[in-house]
Amino acid sequence: MTPPVVAIDALEKSFGDYPTKRVLRGVNLSIPPGTVLGLLGQNGSGKSTLLKCSLGLLRPTAGSVTVLGDDSWNLSAGVKARLGYVPQEAVTYPWMRVRQVIAYTAAFYPTWNQRLVDELCQRWRLPLEERVGPLSVGQLQSLAIVLALGHEPELLMLDEPVAGLDPSARREFLRTILEIVDNPRRTIMFSTHITSDLERVANRVAILKDGRIAYYGELDELKDRVKRLRIAAAHDLPQSFKIPGALRCEVAGAVATVSVNDFDEQLADHLRTAWSADVTVHDLNLEEIFVEMHAAGSPTLAVTR
Amino acid sequence: MPPSAGLFELHPSSGIPIYRQLIDQVRALIAGGRLVPGDMLPSVREVARAAEVNPMTVSKAYSRLEIEGVVERVRGQGMRILEPNTGGPLRERRQEFRDLAAPAIHRALQLGLTDQQIHKAVDQLLEEQAARHSND
Repeated sequence: MTPPVVAIDALEKSFGDYPTKRVLRGVNLSIPPGTVLGLLGQNGSGKSTLLKCSLGLLRPTAGSVTVLGDDSWNLSAGVKARLGYVPQEAVTYPWMRVRQVIAYTAAFYPTWNQRLVDELCQRWRLPLEERVGPLSVGQLQSLAIVLALGHEPELLMLDEPVAGLDPSARREFLRTILEIVDNPRRTIMFSTHITSDLERVANRVAILKDGRIAYYGELDELKDRVKRLRIAAAHDLPQSFKIPGALRCEVAGAVATVSVNDFDEQLADHLRTAWSADVTVHDLNLEEIFVEMHAAGSPTLAVTR
Repeated sequence: MPPSAGLFELHPSSGIPIYRQLIDQVRALIAGGRLVPGDMLPSVREVARAAEVNPMTVSKAYSRLEIEGVVERVRGQGMRILEPNTGGPLRERRQEFRDLAAPAIHRALQLGLTDQQIHKAVDQLLEEQAARHSND
């Protein structure tokens, strides 16, 4: 088997001395090459911290991250040349012109695809002769993405890359991501709140909850597994009505609405017979699944793959 | 004319995984006669571009269709629609039908239909199906 591009092992990260804020509480992830991983989580769930620890921008409190074979806290220049990163807030040089920032960044890398950069600047209508300072948030973000792509990195990490982009620029960005992964050796990790973008481009999803991974696996599998059932029984259901491992369960008279995380047809058949009930199965999209998983008291999904 | 990538209508934000949508649509297009044996499916790249989805997802759907015997992989050309597979042991095919019919029967009984009324409804459906085929 090919070694993972990123291997995160029992990663913990805390901030401050006392009281310590434990942001990551033991994260494990193994990301094979060619993956487009969408990282989801509520605000403050540790997405940025996870990405920064993976890039060696933050030192893990415990555990480790291995990136392209190197320990993330001791990345070699060779591995850095194969990484691209777009931070949540683009840092750049307000006094330079766009063209100059590009030339300045290019000088750091042994290889630089200027043709690709020119093409992207044109597609995203970046004003090459304008100074960076007065650019809009969206333009800055586009510029940061272009700068991260110029050396054609094998591993690209993006921290909420589309937050400042308008819908058409977002679409353009997604198209670019899809073009990048046309090469199966490329791997992308990106955090986002926009589940519809993730559904379009990601093949895997990791959901961070309370400093741990609540789900990691294929997006398709998540959608196949998590379903909402409407159970209309012949008689009133007892208040104690329960389905093991349910994310959420609401009982009102003879009708129960239950979100389950491990659906199969047998479960539906079992419920039909056990309660002589009419059972309908509703598919949930990623946004709905995310909300169900963060409902009060919902357990963490048992299986992570 | 080869089938175009616009053949499919994919909804990434649906609760049904994209690969499953693709499989269902290929099956539906075959059932509706819009794809016939010998037709080539549009390439993975074409579909991914047109629908703006991850090519791996399209490729997964095509592989499943290959495993299910709906299409065959033709080296250097892509995926070709096969003759419909009516083979397989009768026992398996009968079981597949039973799985489909069981929830419908259960519902019919809940609706208060008698066995006889259910039998009659099934017979009617069979007649309608036969009539539709003789019109083709």
